Amino acid sequence: MLPITTGIIPFGLVMGTVCSEAQLTLLQSIGMNLFIFAGASQLASVDLMGGQTETIVVVATGLIINLRFMLYSAALSPVVRNSSFLTKLASAYCLTDQNYAVMSAHQGVLSNNRDIIRFYFGASVCMIVAWHMSVIAGYTFGNFAPISWSLEYAVPLSFVALVIPSLKGKKFIYVAVFSSLFSIVLNGLPYNLGLIFTALLGIALGAFLTRDKVLK
Amino acid sequence: MIQVDYFWKTIILLALGTMAIRFSIIAVSGKITISDRLKEVFSFIPAAVIPAIIAPMVFYHEGSVEVLHGKERLIVLLIATVICYKTKSMLATVSLGLVLLYFTKMI
Repeated sequence: MLPITTGIIPFGLVMGTVCSEAQLTLLQSIGMNLFIFAGASQLASVDLMGGQTETIVVVATGLIINLRFMLYSAALSPVVRNSSFLTKLASAYCLTDQNYAVMSAHQGVLSNNRDIIRFYFGASVCMIVAWHMSVIAGYTFGNFAPISWSLEYAVPLSFVALVIPSLKGKKFIYVAVFSSLFSIVLNGLPYNLGLIFTALLGIALGAFLTRDKVLK
Repeated sequence: MIQVDYFWKTIILLALGTMAIRFSIIAVSGKITISDRLKEVFSFIPAAVIPAIIAPMVFYHEGSVEVLHGKERLIVLLIATVICYKTKSMLATVSLGLVLLYFTKMI
Protein backbone atom coordinates (compact mmCIF):
# COMPACT_ATOMS: atom_id res chain seq x y z
CA MET A 1 0.00 0.00 0.00
CA LEU A 2 3.03 2.23 0.37
CA PRO A 3 3.11 3.39 -3.28
CA ILE A 4 -0.47 4.66 -3.08
CA THR A 5 -0.21 6.38 0.25
CA THR A 6 2.96 8.24 -0.76
CA GLY A 7 0.85 9.76 -3.52
CA ILE A 8 -2.20 10.38 -1.35
CA ILE A 9 -0.62 11.76 1.81
CA PRO A 10 1.08 14.82 0.29
CA PHE A 11 -2.06 15.50 -1.76
CA GLY A 12 -4.22 15.26 1.38
CA LEU A 13 -1.85 17.58 3.24
CA VAL A 14 -2.17 20.13 0.43
CA MET A 15 -5.96 19.77 0.52
CA GLY A 16 -6.10 20.29 4.28
CA THR A 17 -3.78 23.29 4.13
CA VAL A 18 -5.87 24.93 1.41
CA CYS A 19 -9.06 24.35 3.44
CA SER A 20 -7.61 26.01 6.50
CA GLU A 21 -6.26 28.93 4.44
CA ALA A 22 -9.77 29.43 2.97
CA GLN A 23 -11.04 29.57 6.58
CA LEU A 24 -13.35 26.58 6.16
CA THR A 25 -14.36 24.89 9.39
CA LEU A 26 -13.05 21.40 10.10
CA LEU A 27 -16.58 20.05 9.61
CA GLN A 28 -16.84 21.71 6.17
CA SER A 29 -13.45 20.31 5.18
CA ILE A 30 -14.30 16.77 6.27
CA GLY A 31 -17.79 16.98 4.73
CA MET A 32 -16.42 18.11 1.39
CA ASN A 33 -13.82 15.34 1.40
CA LEU A 34 -16.40 12.73 2.22
CA PHE A 35 -19.04 13.83 -0.30
CA ILE A 36 -16.89 14.71 -3.29
CA PHE A 37 -13.80 12.57 -2.57
CA ALA A 38 -11.92 14.02 -5.57
CA GLY A 39 -9.05 16.22 -4.48
CA ALA A 40 -8.22 18.06 -7.70
CA SER A 41 -11.78 19.33 -8.20
CA GLN A 42 -12.03 20.25 -4.52
CA LEU A 43 -8.85 22.33 -4.66
CA ALA A 44 -10.17 24.19 -7.70
CA SER A 45 -13.60 24.75 -6.17
CA VAL A 46 -12.25 26.05 -2.86
CA ASP A 47 -10.14 28.49 -4.86
CA LEU A 48 -13.14 29.61 -6.97
CA MET A 49 -15.48 29.85 -3.98
CA GLY A 50 -12.93 32.09 -2.27
CA GLY A 51 -13.56 34.52 -5.15
CA GLN A 52 -17.37 34.26 -4.74
CA THR A 53 -17.68 32.60 -8.15
CA GLU A 54 -21.23 31.62 -9.17
CA THR A 55 -22.22 28.10 -8.13
CA ILE A 56 -22.80 26.94 -11.71
CA VAL A 57 -19.29 27.98 -12.75
CA VAL A 58 -17.71 26.23 -9.77
CA VAL A 59 -19.69 23.05 -10.40
CA ALA A 60 -19.02 23.06 -14.17
CA THR A 61 -15.28 23.55 -13.58
CA GLY A 62 -15.22 20.77 -10.99
CA LEU A 63 -17.06 18.39 -13.30
CA ILE A 64 -14.69 19.05 -16.19
CA ILE A 65 -11.78 18.31 -13.85
CA ASN A 66 -13.52 15.09 -12.80
CA LEU A 67 -14.35 14.03 -16.35
CA ARG A 68 -11.35 11.71 -16.17
CA PHE A 69 -13.34 9.46 -13.82
CA MET A 70 -15.25 8.38 -16.90
CA LEU A 71 -12.02 6.78 -18.10
CA TYR A 72 -11.61 5.02 -14.75
CA SER A 73 -15.28 4.00 -14.73
CA ALA A 74 -14.81 2.40 -18.15
CA ALA A 75 -11.69 0.59 -16.91
CA LEU A 76 -13.46 -0.87 -13.88
CA SER A 77 -16.76 -1.68 -15.60
CA PRO A 78 -15.82 -5.15 -16.97
CA VAL A 79 -14.68 -6.21 -13.49
CA VAL A 80 -17.92 -5.35 -11.66
CA ARG A 81 -20.23 -6.18 -14.59
CA ASN A 82 -21.90 -9.08 -12.75
CA SER A 83 -21.77 -7.58 -9.25
CA SER A 84 -24.73 -6.30 -7.24
CA PHE A 85 -25.97 -2.73 -7.60
CA LEU A 86 -24.51 -1.78 -4.21
CA THR A 87 -21.08 -3.17 -5.08
CA LYS A 88 -21.17 -1.21 -8.32
CA LEU A 89 -22.14 1.96 -6.49
CA ALA A 90 -19.46 1.50 -3.82
CA SER A 91 -16.79 0.70 -6.41
CA ALA A 92 -17.74 3.85 -8.33
CA TYR A 93 -17.41 5.99 -5.20
CA CYS A 94 -13.92 4.58 -4.57
CA LEU A 95 -12.54 5.48 -8.03
CA THR A 96 -9.49 7.73 -7.74
CA ASP A 97 -6.39 8.49 -9.79
CA GLN A 98 -4.26 6.43 -7.43
CA ASN A 99 -6.68 3.52 -7.39
CA TYR A 100 -6.77 3.48 -11.18
CA ALA A 101 -2.96 3.49 -11.27
CA VAL A 102 -2.76 0.56 -8.82
CA MET A 103 -5.41 -1.41 -10.69
CA SER A 104 -3.59 -0.93 -14.00
CA ALA A 105 -0.30 -2.00 -12.42
CA HIS A 106 -1.77 -5.22 -10.96
CA GLN A 107 -3.98 -6.18 -13.88
CA GLY A 108 -1.89 -9.19 -14.86
CA VAL A 109 -1.40 -10.52 -11.31
CA LEU A 110 -5.02 -11.09 -10.28
CA SER A 111 -6.81 -13.63 -12.43
CA ASN A 112 -10.52 -13.53 -11.59
CA ASN A 113 -12.94 -10.68 -11.03
CA ARG A 114 -13.71 -11.66 -7.43
CA ASP A 115 -10.05 -11.34 -6.46
CA ILE A 116 -9.74 -8.05 -8.31
CA ILE A 117 -12.80 -6.64 -6.50
CA ARG A 118 -11.41 -7.72 -3.10
CA PHE A 119 -8.04 -6.23 -3.90
CA TYR A 120 -9.73 -3.06 -5.14
CA PHE A 121 -11.81 -2.54 -2.01
CA GLY A 122 -8.83 -3.35 0.22
CA ALA A 123 -6.75 -0.71 -1.55
CA SER A 124 -9.68 1.73 -1.40
CA VAL A 125 -10.09 1.43 2.38
CA CYS A 126 -6.37 2.18 2.83
CA MET A 127 -6.69 5.19 0.55
CA ILE A 128 -9.79 6.58 2.23
CA VAL A 129 -8.21 6.31 5.68
CA ALA A 130 -4.90 7.82 4.50
CA TRP A 131 -6.74 10.59 2.65
CA HIS A 132 -8.91 11.77 5.54
CA MET A 133 -6.06 11.51 8.06
CA SER A 134 -3.72 13.56 5.91
CA VAL A 135 -6.41 16.19 5.20
CA ILE A 136 -6.95 16.65 8.93
CA ALA A 137 -3.19 16.81 9.50
CA GLY A 138 -2.81 19.38 6.71
CA TYR A 139 -5.72 21.39 8.09
CA THR A 140 -4.06 21.56 11.50
CA PHE A 141 -0.63 22.31 10.06
CA GLY A 142 -1.92 24.92 7.59
CA ASN A 143 -2.99 27.13 10.46
CA PHE A 144 0.56 27.81 11.55
CA ALA A 145 2.69 27.37 8.40
CA PRO A 146 4.43 30.68 7.49
CA ILE A 147 3.23 32.45 4.34
CA SER A 148 6.80 32.55 2.98
CA TRP A 149 6.61 28.78 2.45
CA SER A 150 4.06 29.40 -0.37
CA LEU A 151 2.20 26.20 0.47
CA GLU A 152 -0.54 27.05 -2.05
CA TYR A 153 2.03 26.34 -4.77
CA ALA A 154 1.77 22.68 -3.76
CA VAL A 155 -1.54 22.64 -5.69
CA PRO A 156 -0.09 22.92 -9.23
CA LEU A 157 2.85 20.73 -8.16
CA SER A 158 0.56 17.93 -7.05
CA PHE A 159 -1.41 18.28 -10.31
CA VAL A 160 1.84 17.71 -12.22
CA ALA A 161 2.27 14.47 -10.29
CA LEU A 162 -1.30 13.50 -11.24
CA VAL A 163 -0.89 14.05 -14.96
CA ILE A 164 2.64 12.73 -15.62
CA PRO A 165 1.76 9.04 -15.08
CA SER A 166 -1.11 9.35 -17.59
CA LEU A 167 1.21 10.49 -20.40
CA LYS A 168 1.88 7.09 -21.93
CA GLY A 169 3.45 8.20 -25.19
CA LYS A 170 4.24 11.05 -27.54
CA LYS A 171 0.60 11.63 -28.50
CA PHE A 172 -0.34 12.20 -24.87
CA ILE A 173 2.53 14.65 -24.48
CA TYR A 174 1.36 16.57 -27.58
CA VAL A 175 -2.12 16.83 -26.07
CA ALA A 176 -0.74 17.98 -22.70
CA VAL A 177 1.47 20.65 -24.32
CA PHE A 178 -1.42 21.81 -26.50
CA SER A 179 -3.71 22.09 -23.46
CA SER A 180 -1.11 24.04 -21.48
CA LEU A 181 -0.59 26.61 -24.24
CA PHE A 182 -4.21 26.88 -25.33
CA SER A 183 -5.47 27.34 -21.77
CA ILE A 184 -3.04 30.24 -21.32
CA VAL A 185 -4.34 31.85 -24.51
CA LEU A 186 -8.01 31.40 -23.52
CA ASN A 187 -7.51 32.42 -19.91
CA GLY A 188 -9.40 35.71 -20.34
CA LEU A 189 -12.74 34.05 -21.20
CA PRO A 190 -15.50 34.43 -18.61
CA TYR A 191 -17.05 31.61 -16.57
CA ASN A 192 -13.88 29.53 -16.81
CA LEU A 193 -14.92 28.70 -20.39
CA GLY A 194 -11.23 28.58 -21.34
CA LEU A 195 -10.83 25.38 -19.33
CA ILE A 196 -13.92 23.80 -20.85
CA PHE A 197 -12.97 24.66 -24.46
CA THR A 198 -9.36 23.58 -23.94
CA ALA A 199 -10.41 20.28 -22.36
CA LEU A 200 -12.79 19.43 -25.20
CA LEU A 201 -10.30 20.47 -27.90
CA GLY A 202 -7.55 18.52 -26.16
CA ILE A 203 -9.66 15.35 -26.15
CA ALA A 204 -10.56 15.96 -29.81
CA LEU A 205 -6.86 16.32 -30.61
CA GLY A 206 -6.18 13.01 -28.88
CA ALA A 207 -8.93 11.37 -30.93
CA PHE A 208 -7.52 12.93 -34.10
CA LEU A 209 -3.95 11.77 -33.38
CA THR A 210 -5.09 8.17 -32.89
CA ARG A 211 -7.52 8.13 -35.86
CA ASP A 212 -5.37 5.80 -38.01
CA LYS A 213 -6.09 2.79 -35.85
CA VAL A 214 -9.78 2.98 -36.73
CA LEU A 215 -9.07 2.55 -40.41
CA LYS A 216 -7.06 -0.66 -39.91
CA MET B 1 -14.73 33.97 4.16
CA ILE B 2 -16.94 31.55 2.18
CA GLN B 3 -20.65 31.74 3.04
CA VAL B 4 -22.07 28.59 4.60
CA ASP B 5 -25.22 28.19 2.42
CA TYR B 6 -23.29 28.86 -0.76
CA PHE B 7 -20.57 26.44 0.29
CA TRP B 8 -22.87 23.49 0.94
CA LYS B 9 -25.05 24.10 -2.12
CA THR B 10 -21.97 24.06 -4.35
CA ILE B 11 -20.40 21.07 -2.61
CA ILE B 12 -23.55 18.92 -2.79
CA LEU B 13 -24.08 19.68 -6.50
CA LEU B 14 -20.45 18.93 -7.29
CA ALA B 15 -20.62 15.74 -5.21
CA LEU B 16 -23.72 14.50 -7.08
CA GLY B 17 -22.24 15.33 -10.48
CA THR B 18 -18.94 13.66 -9.62
CA MET B 19 -20.70 10.52 -8.43
CA ALA B 20 -22.72 10.46 -11.67
CA ILE B 21 -19.49 10.57 -13.73
CA ARG B 22 -17.88 7.83 -11.61
CA PHE B 23 -20.95 5.63 -11.88
CA SER B 24 -21.64 6.33 -15.58
CA ILE B 25 -19.89 3.50 -17.40
CA ILE B 26 -20.08 1.11 -14.43
CA ALA B 27 -23.86 1.60 -14.31
CA VAL B 28 -24.32 0.53 -17.93
CA SER B 29 -21.83 -2.35 -17.73
CA GLY B 30 -23.50 -5.59 -18.71
CA LYS B 31 -25.95 -3.74 -20.91
CA ILE B 32 -23.72 -1.65 -23.14
CA THR B 33 -20.17 -2.51 -24.14
CA ILE B 34 -17.82 0.43 -24.48
CA SER B 35 -15.67 0.05 -27.58
CA ASP B 36 -11.89 0.03 -27.32
CA ARG B 37 -11.83 3.09 -29.53
CA LEU B 38 -13.95 5.08 -27.06
CA LYS B 39 -11.72 3.91 -24.19
CA GLU B 40 -8.72 5.10 -26.18
CA VAL B 41 -10.30 8.53 -26.58
CA PHE B 42 -11.13 8.57 -22.85
CA SER B 43 -7.47 7.90 -22.08
CA PHE B 44 -6.65 11.41 -23.34
CA ILE B 45 -8.90 13.09 -20.75
CA PRO B 46 -6.23 13.56 -18.03
CA ALA B 47 -3.70 14.93 -20.56
CA ALA B 48 -6.30 17.35 -21.97
CA VAL B 49 -7.77 18.55 -18.67
CA ILE B 50 -5.09 18.71 -15.98
CA PRO B 51 -2.52 20.86 -17.87
CA ALA B 52 -5.36 23.29 -18.70
CA ILE B 53 -5.89 23.80 -14.96
CA ILE B 54 -2.23 24.16 -14.02
CA ALA B 55 -0.91 26.31 -16.88
CA PRO B 56 -3.00 29.50 -16.40
CA MET B 57 -2.75 29.17 -12.60
CA VAL B 58 1.05 29.27 -12.77
CA PHE B 59 1.55 31.44 -15.86
CA TYR B 60 -0.57 34.35 -14.60
CA HIS B 61 0.67 34.27 -11.04
CA GLU B 62 2.43 37.51 -10.18
CA GLY B 63 5.83 36.54 -8.86
CA SER B 64 8.21 38.55 -6.77
CA VAL B 65 11.69 37.83 -8.12
CA GLU B 66 12.89 40.65 -10.38
CA VAL B 67 15.56 38.76 -12.32
CA LEU B 68 13.02 36.12 -13.28
CA HIS B 69 10.41 38.75 -14.19
CA GLY B 70 7.85 37.22 -11.87
CA LYS B 71 7.91 33.90 -13.68
CA GLU B 72 9.78 31.91 -11.05
CA ARG B 73 6.74 29.71 -10.44
CA LEU B 74 6.66 28.77 -14.10
CA ILE B 75 10.35 27.88 -14.12
CA VAL B 76 10.06 25.86 -10.92
CA LEU B 77 7.04 24.06 -12.38
CA LEU B 78 9.03 23.03 -15.47
CA ILE B 79 11.83 21.71 -13.24
CA ALA B 80 9.23 19.91 -11.09
CA THR B 81 7.84 18.28 -14.24
CA VAL B 82 11.28 16.82 -14.96
CA ILE B 83 11.63 15.72 -11.31
CA CYS B 84 8.23 14.04 -11.47
CA TYR B 85 9.07 12.30 -14.74
CA LYS B 86 12.32 10.94 -13.26
CA THR B 87 11.05 9.98 -9.79
CA LYS B 88 7.35 9.19 -10.47
CA SER B 89 6.78 10.41 -6.94
CA MET B 90 4.24 12.99 -5.81
CA LEU B 91 6.08 13.40 -2.51
CA ALA B 92 9.37 14.25 -4.26
CA THR B 93 7.64 16.53 -6.79
CA VAL B 94 5.71 18.55 -4.22
CA SER B 95 8.43 18.83 -1.59
CA LEU B 96 11.32 19.61 -3.99
CA GLY B 97 9.10 22.06 -5.88
CA LEU B 98 8.25 23.96 -2.70
CA VAL B 99 11.89 24.02 -1.60
CA LEU B 100 13.01 25.29 -5.04
CA LEU B 101 10.39 28.05 -4.98
CA TYR B 102 11.50 29.04 -1.51
CA PHE B 103 15.08 29.39 -2.73
CA THR B 104 14.13 31.50 -5.74
CA LYS B 105 12.94 34.12 -3.27
CA MET B 106 16.48 34.42 -1.92
CA ILE B 107 18.02 35.27 -5.29
